Amino acid sequence: MVKALTLEWLKLRNYRVFWVLLGLYLFSLLAISSGGVFFLEFLKSKGADFNGIDPTIIPIYDFPDVWHNITFLGTYVKILVAFIVVISITNDLSFNTMRQNIIDGISKKEFITSKILLILALGLVSSVFLFICGFGVGSIYSHVFEAKFIFADLEFFFLYYLDMVKYCCFALMMAIIIRKTGFVIVFLMIYSLILEPVVGSILKYSPLKDNTAWIEPLLPSSYYNMTTGLIEVPFTKYFLQEVQSGILWQPTLIALAWTGIFIGIIVWRLNRKDIK
Amino acid sequence: MNKILEINGLSKKYGRIQAVNNLNLTITSGQVYGILGPNGSGKTTTLGMILDVVAPTDGGYQWFGGEDPVKSRQKIGSILETPCFYNYMTAVQNLRVAAHIKECSFDRIDEVLKQVNLYERRNDPFKTYSLGMKQRLSIAAALLNDPPVMILDEPTNGLDPQGIAEVRDIIKNIARQGKTIIFASHLLDEVQKVCTHFCILRKGVKLHDGKVEDILGETNIVEISGDDNAQLLKSIETFKGTKSALHENGSVKVELEENFTSADINQYCFENDITLKKLLPQTKSLEQEFLKILDEN
Repeated sequence: MVKALTLEWLKLRNYRVFWVLLGLYLFSLLAISSGGVFFLEFLKSKGADFNGIDPTIIPIYDFPDVWHNITFLGTYVKILVAFIVVISITNDLSFNTMRQNIIDGISKKEFITSKILLILALGLVSSVFLFICGFGVGSIYSHVFEAKFIFADLEFFFLYYLDMVKYCCFALMMAIIIRKTGFVIVFLMIYSLILEPVVGSILKYSPLKDNTAWIEPLLPSSYYNMTTGLIEVPFTKYFLQEVQSGILWQPTLIALAWTGIFIGIIVWRLNRKDIK
Repeated sequence: MNKILEINGLSKKYGRIQAVNNLNLTITSGQVYGILGPNGSGKTTTLGMILDVVAPTDGGYQWFGGEDPVKSRQKIGSILETPCFYNYMTAVQNLRVAAHIKECSFDRIDEVLKQVNLYERRNDPFKTYSLGMKQRLSIAAALLNDPPVMILDEPTNGLDPQGIAEVRDIIKNIARQGKTIIFASHLLDEVQKVCTHFCILRKGVKLHDGKVEDILGETNIVEISGDDNAQLLKSIETFKGTKSALHENGSVKVELEENFTSADINQYCFENDITLKKLLPQTKSLEQEFLKILDEN
């Protein structure tokens, strides 16, 4: 395990593209978690008001609501992390270094493990970073600052982590099937950002929705969480609607099942073929 | 003698093409083993199978008398046709990846880079290297943990004459250290120079295996020439040891009866007052034997 993860680190630590993508992602998380204030100011300057309430007093950074808010938004930029995973495997395929690694003395299983561990590690780094960001803005703006509020609702980080791991496994699987970096990246953008949400909406809102709506949460990549319900939209609570208060078992199980399926296909694919 | 590699009935089919067919080989410690064959004879496929990157259709192999294959591969230095490295990393960084996989320390990296003459360029990215430098870096990677066994697959392919000479020098040095070497090539001259044992593959079938010295040695043909080759031909035809003789390319080729040697010709000419300018017993070359074996089968 340690060997596999260190191997991945040795491959990436001198790779500029990796640092640029990781930097972009972490910067996006920072922007998302701290940008809410500016967004609300912006709404105010445009003259928006919610039934006479000044937008800037909406307590989006109050503990523990901040966790739900930032994890929900954080999942929207996970494609940057998926790109890191994609490039890491397509490099090994196009430089033929996967074959070389195996010849030099690791097993295929260990090689696959190194990629899965990369995903788990990236998820961990992102979660910790997002927590720090959330804690930072929370400690500035939150109206409450007591441990029982700060450390409440942390299960949203589990959901955020699961969502990222699942999507990265999907990206890893597609990268192993398609093999060419550019094609994989274009595929991920078109499929998971556009095509699948459109299909999902058709399934959910078309005239036949009574028969097809149940398929929609089962779609494999489900990039946008408002459709799967893994992390539901948090902001409706400011309009006094009820929102998700913890882990919902059905979307969680679906995400876990897809993660298992993706890893299964990855292992099967790499074991079945001769490595050229 | 320690068995290094034992191959039992190894076969590989690509669709309908039988790339390797029921191959049996045993390589023991200290041998320099040449795998010969025309292009497409299954050499690289065989090496791919014993290194676990090509899945055999049938049969199996054992390294070091049955050691774990992953651990075994860490003790084998492999130089395959094309050097495979991360092109955004420098030589040193690439060798760190290799050393990490082989579970050996980073301490020897500088040493092997000096050995293959890349030390000055060690901090330049791999993508800036010429093919010869790339090939030398893969030799450096193979030497990292001082492996007892080396596998070389056409290591001089695609190199310019200078690159070929450099790579060949390095290989000769390695052979001198008494390592077991498995060497695939279609350059017979190269094999003849370094190998102790060899086998010949064609269309995935092993046609021959044995020691190199067994099939080399002197032939019964002697090439001679003098001032007047026409006269020489006439007189040599009366020599009792001559089986046949012919005048060809400015010299006379004499095929000798059994138990006669070039010394006998020399003495005969001396006794008949003929002065020879050239007396050259022809030796067998691996190339001739190789073509003969391919012809016979």
